[in-house]
Amino acid sequence: MSSEPARECSFFISILRDKQLADGEPHTAEAWEWLDQELFARFGGYTIAPGLYRGCDTDPHTQQRVDDESYKFIVAVSPEALERLRDLLRQACVEFAQKCIYLNIASQVEFIEATSHESNGSV
Amino acid sequence: MNPTGVYSDLRGRTYHLCELDDAERTLLQEFVQYANDHPDWGEYGNFRMAKIGEFYAARGLDRRQTIATPLWRISQDIGSRLLVAAGHARAPDYRSDLDHLIRENFRTRREFCDATGISEDMLSHVLAGRKHLAIDTLSQALERIGYRLQITPRP
Repeated sequence: MSSEPARECSFFISILRDKQLADGEPHTAEAWEWLDQELFARFGGYTIAPGLYRGCDTDPHTQQRVDDESYKFIVAVSPEALERLRDLLRQACVEFAQKCIYLNIASQVEFIEATSHESNGSV
Repeated sequence: MNPTGVYSDLRGRTYHLCELDDAERTLLQEFVQYANDHPDWGEYGNFRMAKIGEFYAARGLDRRQTIATPLWRISQDIGSRLLVAAGHARAPDYRSDLDHLIRENFRTRREFCDATGISEDMLSHVLAGRKHLAIDTLSQALERIGYRLQITPRP
């Protein structure tokens, strides 16, 4: 058991699949269910910030502006479990067809990318 | 919701509510009522997460056991319906069923493709929503692994 306190982590998941990786349409309900149960199973729970977050970013591949709406998830993670959260988000990049996921760990921002978009998570 | 009836989820899976005990049925009623009063998916999700985690922890179930309970799945499906109703998710279709089948029965997509004759490239396009499989192609592929297409009522 770590003596260090848990870190507040938050990340955003766009409500739409990436237009280049996929079809730009909403995710299946199953993808959200997968995230729900993995966050519970691995970290014991999470909080969804109210409403949707609008944002815009630059696609690293096309250099074009991308506007999206996202849900924000907040989860408390012990320092030794942070890598497990990154692993989960790498998998989430595939599940949600995202090029990367914005992750904030106690005010330190990281962009998590999938290892491979063809690996299909646990498959 | 009829407490002794059958709950049918978005994928058409059915749950016999008579198999829940009294406390589980009471909690389910709370979830249904909360979802009716608070149709925001996040709000419902936060309410559900706090309640269901505490409920099964008190019964000595660990997290993996909790997510395998019918009440977890039903309450999760209630949330999914809120997402679909808000237009923030789409209801499952044949592609998500196919994805689910692969995950449950094959170690890799390639293994599935070898067994069905569908090319990996085509499967990748289909699961990403970029292409569709023709019905006869899908039927023949499923036949090879012991499955078939079926038309079912919309949940």
